[in-house]
Amino acid sequence: MPKIEVNDRVFFRMIGRSMESSELSKALTVAKAELDDWLPDPGGNLIKIELNDTNRPDLWSTVGLARQLRLFFSETLPSYPFFSSKGNTMDSANRVVQVDPGLKEIRPYIAAFIAEGLPIDDPLLKDLIQSQEKLCWNYGRKRSSIAMGVYRADLMSFPVQYRAADPDKTSFIPLDSDKELSLRAILTEHAKGIEFGSIVSGFELFPFLEDNNGEVLSFPPIINSARLGAVNVGDSQHFIELTGTDIDSLLLACSIAACDLADCGYTIGPVRIAYPYDTPYGREIVTPYYFQKPVSLDTAYGCKLLGEEISAEEAAACIHKMGIEVSRSGERLTVTPPPYRNDFLHSVDIVEEIMIGRGMESFEPIWPEDFTIGRLSSMEMFSRRVREIMVGLGYQEMIYNYLGSSRDFVERMNIDGCDIIEIANPMSENSEIVRNSQLPNLLSSESTSGNAVYPHRIFEIGKTVVKDSEENYGSRTSTKLSFLVSDREAGFNDVNSHLSALFFYLSRDYSLKKITDPRFIHGRAGAVMCEGKDVGIVGEIHPEVLKNWGIQMPCAGVELDLDFIA
Amino acid sequence: MLIQGLHPLEIKLLLHYKADELITSEKVLDELSYNLGQCNQAFSWLSAKELIEEKSREKSIKFLLTELGRDYQEKGSHEERIFKLIQKQGPLTLPDIAVRLKLENREVGSAFGALSKSGLLGMNEKKQVVILDNKKLKAIDALTGLLNLFTQNEVVEKKNLSLEQAELISSLGRKRGASRGLFRILEKEEVIYVLTSSGLKVRDILLNQGITGDEIGILTPELLKNEAWKKQKFRGYNINIPPVRVLLGRKNPYVEFLERLKDKLISLGFEEFDGPLLETEFWNCDALFMPQFHSARDIHDVYHVKDPTHAKEIEQPYLDQVAATHENGWKTGSLGWRYKFDRQFTRRMILRSQGTVLSAKTLPRAKVPGKYFGVVRCFRYDRVDATHLADFYQTEGIVLGEEVNLKTLLGLLKMFAVEVAGAEEFKFVPGYFPFTEPSVEVHIKHPELGWFELGGSGIFRPEVTAPMGIKVPVLAWGLGIDRMALVALGLNDLRDLFTGDIEQVRLRTRKELCRR
Repeated sequence: MPKIEVNDRVFFRMIGRSMESSELSKALTVAKAELDDWLPDPGGNLIKIELNDTNRPDLWSTVGLARQLRLFFSETLPSYPFFSSKGNTMDSANRVVQVDPGLKEIRPYIAAFIAEGLPIDDPLLKDLIQSQEKLCWNYGRKRSSIAMGVYRADLMSFPVQYRAADPDKTSFIPLDSDKELSLRAILTEHAKGIEFGSIVSGFELFPFLEDNNGEVLSFPPIINSARLGAVNVGDSQHFIELTGTDIDSLLLACSIAACDLADCGYTIGPVRIAYPYDTPYGREIVTPYYFQKPVSLDTAYGCKLLGEEISAEEAAACIHKMGIEVSRSGERLTVTPPPYRNDFLHSVDIVEEIMIGRGMESFEPIWPEDFTIGRLSSMEMFSRRVREIMVGLGYQEMIYNYLGSSRDFVERMNIDGCDIIEIANPMSENSEIVRNSQLPNLLSSESTSGNAVYPHRIFEIGKTVVKDSEENYGSRTSTKLSFLVSDREAGFNDVNSHLSALFFYLSRDYSLKKITDPRFIHGRAGAVMCEGKDVGIVGEIHPEVLKNWGIQMPCAGVELDLDFIA
Repeated sequence: MLIQGLHPLEIKLLLHYKADELITSEKVLDELSYNLGQCNQAFSWLSAKELIEEKSREKSIKFLLTELGRDYQEKGSHEERIFKLIQKQGPLTLPDIAVRLKLENREVGSAFGALSKSGLLGMNEKKQVVILDNKKLKAIDALTGLLNLFTQNEVVEKKNLSLEQAELISSLGRKRGASRGLFRILEKEEVIYVLTSSGLKVRDILLNQGITGDEIGILTPELLKNEAWKKQKFRGYNINIPPVRVLLGRKNPYVEFLERLKDKLISLGFEEFDGPLLETEFWNCDALFMPQFHSARDIHDVYHVKDPTHAKEIEQPYLDQVAATHENGWKTGSLGWRYKFDRQFTRRMILRSQGTVLSAKTLPRAKVPGKYFGVVRCFRYDRVDATHLADFYQTEGIVLGEEVNLKTLLGLLKMFAVEVAGAEEFKFVPGYFPFTEPSVEVHIKHPELGWFELGGSGIFRPEVTAPMGIKVPVLAWGLGIDRMALVALGLNDLRDLFTGDIEQVRLRTRKELCRR
């Protein structure tokens, strides 16, 4: 979930009114946001807010969040007259970005506009950087699908070239550096290159932006140039561009940025993008571009989902309160999504706007009336029987995590571990594998519980996974029972007696078949056979294994697959 | 109190001795028929209670017969036997004596040496032993007298011997081992006790109450059978002595907590579901209408599996229907996500990251109306700390019905707030889940935790239900019960829920899920 920090003075000025913390908390629910903290800060206090809706990147800035709240309290919808759309192209005043065919497979899309007419101040610059980060990090998947750059428009000349450049022969001075570096060198020598380089490093050519005079704008999605790409307080003419791989999310991000700046008082100037290849919106797109489609709702369907009789008129008013343009034709409502939103896929998305617009407290909870029969799963029932017998036998139940290390589950157990599920992207040593057995967990308890009064009798009922090529999933999850005795004279006979008692009270029979298993002492281990199937193992833990765990007390254990016994 | 706590060994000892009477272990062994262990216990307990005190210490020397000494005592000393033989048989050579007395030549030689030295016996010209002076029997008598002392007593104390006897016994004794000596010498320091003033008071109380120390201790089957308990009193026990610790079999308190939660949910009409730990991208996300390009599906948000990397197949017609829904909305009335659905990616195996997987998988076989739940292990790509675990339980479920709507959804959340969490105050706020619309969260005021988010719920998007063949609205819900679990178990670190420390788990107790 994205979290943002807003300057309270700027925020309340944009909303049009100031609020106390409790009032703000309540108001924020309209945007599915939560008030985290409100901290004193010189030049206006900082409000920390968490945004829960990952499909509403428009709310991840001071301006965007303030807009949603302002709309809720006012009647007028904002107007953004700078959008082009299908069949309605705005004048781009010869501002053009030319796209190189070589980018088609690398980073095919770009959107751009200029914002002018207002010197940028410190809180606004901070918020611009914050919303750029949130858009590109959370919504743009850490810049891989969206990256954004802001430049000094007064210093550059159109047309801008968006081209695929040779990383070794192209060089410039990037931001936060004082020497010229090749694109390739930036990947290894510049902090941003190290952080984001993997997005482009696999390509032969890298994306590159320069103006008509060959002045470098940036190496998207990595870093701006030190000259054109450095925006400072007081600058009043900005060129904003966004590059990416998915055109809809790119256009949306561009629209969000443009609406935010327009709300701040900037005049937005459209830019024409000239593609040498087809896009879903043609080869020429003037951005910001409105691409969203209208979505309709049958009021009756809305009423059914809300469980409340609401007239089409009232429903339309609720939607309007959320800042959304809506038209009514009889019982049918048609919504024109705001340019900064792309979360209307289905009429249910309109229903939620009605719910929030009308107010949650206007809906009375109804106790569920449908008669249904509650039931535990058969495995849960069986597990409870087993648990009760184990407790009766004097065992303490344990519960363990399912992820573990190869050291514990393979090396210390003296097994080859060929059927263990290994994790391809472990976060740490303790998440290298999913457990195949509970015995290592029980032994790990023994290895750290030498101070607990003996005898130790412990058990766990839980899940394990092993590879199984017969299965569709190539693996099998089992519910297992494992128990372990540790004491001065603990041995095979103890656990076998308990195994015998367990089977008796489960009304099952078993026999033992001698087996060799490196985890157990040879001649003191058996496969547990039940109705002709191998359902588990019983034996005395091998001293070599005990040594691996640093255990100095004899242990004997059992592991049973309950799926085969239940 | 003190009287009740006295052991019979203590009582009998207290009763037996009077003021200023010296109490020694020897006397206790003799007079009360205690064995040495019982005597020492009685001394140590009574000293600790200050009912007896040490008066003085005395070093005592005692003698015991060795095996050889016992042999002398039975058959007479070698000297005595030789003298008697000569007296009876007349002069004999030393080897003759040895043969007749079945002794070794060496033994006969050494005994003769001693006797000839004292002048009792001598040797004639034929090298035969003869009696020289009948009156010099003292050498033999002294030893015989000493041996006779041991016929009545096993142990003879040095203080009871004459000076000559003491000298003789010391010369014939060995302190340790005593392989060849006649006597073993024991040296010991003995403590002598007397009753203290409080000992005397206790003694008086015992006498007054008629307590003898012969009261019944452990009630045995024999006592029941012979009904001896009718004639005797029972000894009262000190019931405030800390009892001995018992190691018992026990459920894990966290498992019990989860069991109570499941019981609560089935009491509310929910049926339990479960499923495999390894899942496909299809069920984990695609079936829930999360687009494949969604940022929450990046490599660092779920655990991938080295082998098997992919499932063999995805069940039809669900695969086709879900794919079409993502691409263009299929028949769901949705615009869809408008991208090319990747059928290779959808088969990829991952560790289940949300319980909602099982809600989705339950849809094709669900009854209408129906309520389902699962308390299932899920895996998160999180660094483990006090508030984050890599694997943990999620509580999730669904409700299907013709009449399912926002108001019944609120009713469901209210039911969880009241019945599962025991909350008296709760509030609803709009929520967000990628697979539900509309979505609502319920926040409750917990008696110990204050306001927190108990759970969330929403109506499954048609893009989720329609591809599974479901035509009625479905509520999807989830409960965050980890914080309630910590409160119930008295913990403040999530990692402790899964601790392997046996002693910690043995001593852990649990409060109820809620007060209802």
